[in-house]
Amino acid sequence: MCSPLRPEPAAANSHKAPDLLASIPYPCGIRDWGCAVIRFDQVSKRYEGGHEALSQLSFEVAAGEMAFVTGHSGAGKSTLLKLLGLIERQSHGVITLDGQNLSKVGRAGIPKLRRRLGMVFQDHRLLMDRTVAANVELPLMIGGMAPAERNKRVRAALEKVGLLAYERQLPATLSAGEQQRVGIARAIVAKPMLLIADEPTGNLDPSLAVEIMDLFAEFQQVGTTVLIASHDLPLIKKMKKRVIVLDHGRLVADVAAQEVL
Amino acid sequence: MSTQPEFPMESPLLSDQTRGVRSKPRPVASWREHHGWSAGSSLRRLMSRPVGTLLTVAVMAIALALPLTFYLLLGNLQKMGDALGQNQTISVFLQPGQGGSAADLMARKLRDHSDVASVTVKTPAQGMDELAKMQGFSGALHTLDNNPLPFVLEVLPTPGASADSVDRLVADMRDMQGVDQVQDSGTWRQRLEALLGVGKRAVLVLAVLLAVAVLLVVGNTVRVDIASRSEEIGVLMLVGASRAFVRRPYLYAGIWYGLFAGVLAAGFAVAVELALADPVARLGKVYAGKLQVDVLPPWLLAAVPVAAAVLGWLGARLVSAWQLRKAA
Ligand SMILES: Nc1ncnc2c1ncn2[C@@H]1O[C@H](COP(=O)(O)OP(=O)(O)OP(=O)(O)O)[C@@H](O)[C@H]1O
Ligand SMILES: [Mg+2]
Repeated sequence: MCSPLRPEPAAANSHKAPDLLASIPYPCGIRDWGCAVIRFDQVSKRYEGGHEALSQLSFEVAAGEMAFVTGHSGAGKSTLLKLLGLIERQSHGVITLDGQNLSKVGRAGIPKLRRRLGMVFQDHRLLMDRTVAANVELPLMIGGMAPAERNKRVRAALEKVGLLAYERQLPATLSAGEQQRVGIARAIVAKPMLLIADEPTGNLDPSLAVEIMDLFAEFQQVGTTVLIASHDLPLIKKMKKRVIVLDHGRLVADVAAQEVL
Repeated sequence: MSTQPEFPMESPLLSDQTRGVRSKPRPVASWREHHGWSAGSSLRRLMSRPVGTLLTVAVMAIALALPLTFYLLLGNLQKMGDALGQNQTISVFLQPGQGGSAADLMARKLRDHSDVASVTVKTPAQGMDELAKMQGFSGALHTLDNNPLPFVLEVLPTPGASADSVDRLVADMRDMQGVDQVQDSGTWRQRLEALLGVGKRAVLVLAVLLAVAVLLVVGNTVRVDIASRSEEIGVLMLVGASRAFVRRPYLYAGIWYGLFAGVLAAGFAVAVELALADPVARLGKVYAGKLQVDVLPPWLLAAVPVAAAVLGWLGARLVSAWQLRKAA
């Protein structure tokens, strides 16, 4: 189940990274890199009345790994992420998330599973009638965390994305990039084992896009597994992370971080 | 740009030994917290659009007040019937041949009857006097040589005797020997009683129908509310909210609608009571001497908001279950 792959942060980043990583509890409970958090085994997805959006997809993403999913428009990137968030269900094959077979997760289990995920959307899906802080607080409130602790975490998350000063504002008063960062703060505030993002930089200017991606990379460095769908190839190349390439729902390339040019 | 992560490890975001939301499970506290939050936020939401809320509540309150008001009116009619029935006298005309001793004997027998309060014997002479007092008769009466009037027994039923038992009493007296005719001034009471019986049944049916109407009003309001917030519901579900969590504020909204409507309906009913008090008292003065408006019992007034809140909750629950069933 575990691949021998040693993830890139230690290799690609500074000398500080290894002992930083050593202090971090791994989501899957195994203090060994390479434990698969995501596992797709011959997964196909056919939408009702549509053609096959994903076909016979097999890959693994290890704990603490950061990977991009890319491909042309309609390649199945969003579909792949939706299967992980149980927004859609696969038609065939087995998806395992942190050792849990997603086909076995019933309706009642969906909320529980989603609480362990952080999801970032291109259209950020913020509640426009609640403050920035209230938006970020949502997953914690749903999880039933005590108010004092909640407040502490929300502030930490907002500080992380550089928006602490905006906590009392409504999202509508923020720029697109800032709103996206609020969405990211909401996704990471509950310390998910897996962070998935669908075109998180879709409508941001390039320098802002890099900033957002760097933010994801930072979360990866503290042990969060990160999976990002994007068609922004220049940006993906810049990040030097693993890249999974889809074409008409098929996996056509899986480039390890070290091989990204 | 430094490659070292800038955020400190002691940051609360990252320092915990465990991942996930809960540092320690606190299901009861968080459950209570969310109920409090749902109740508060749904109330604020209702208050934030006062006109719409007021209209909904008013429609519901009227629907609730209608059966209450009818119930109140019926109660008062019943009470008036009983009160006016206290003046109901039954005149028993004896056959022309019956003399004073026969009349006294009959009167004594009747006084033992459990539904009889008093019996007065009216002699033909008294009857003549009464007739004479009536205008227009005096001249004609003086031309009569002898008194053609029979002995009459004026029977007063026990106050509070039911219309049925009075009816039976009248039938008994008709069968007595020496009785020519029984005139019951109170047949209207039986008719009233029958009408009230129909009315009570009608109020029951009306109450059930209007309760359904209240359910529908709440249901529809909540339905519109949920439909207009489908985006928010979608977001909540995406970040891991359970259906129960999403639903809770709407259930509280239903409870609030019901509660407010119930209080308003009880207020309407009290207003009707106050409006009735004066005319009923005047009517009482004319007839029975003392007649007070029949008020709804306090327990009923208190039960209306509670029952309405339950109806509101039920309406919201049915609609939200139906509407959120496809949300995932
Ligand atoms: N809800 C749906 N019902 C039917 N077909 C769908 C649905 N969602 C996506 N599809 C189809 O599935 C295929 C993959 O869609 P998907 O959204 O995963 O592509 P994508 O790679 O995310 O594209 P883009 O880069 O444009 O976002 C497309 O052909 C699309 O038309
Ligand atoms: Mg997409």
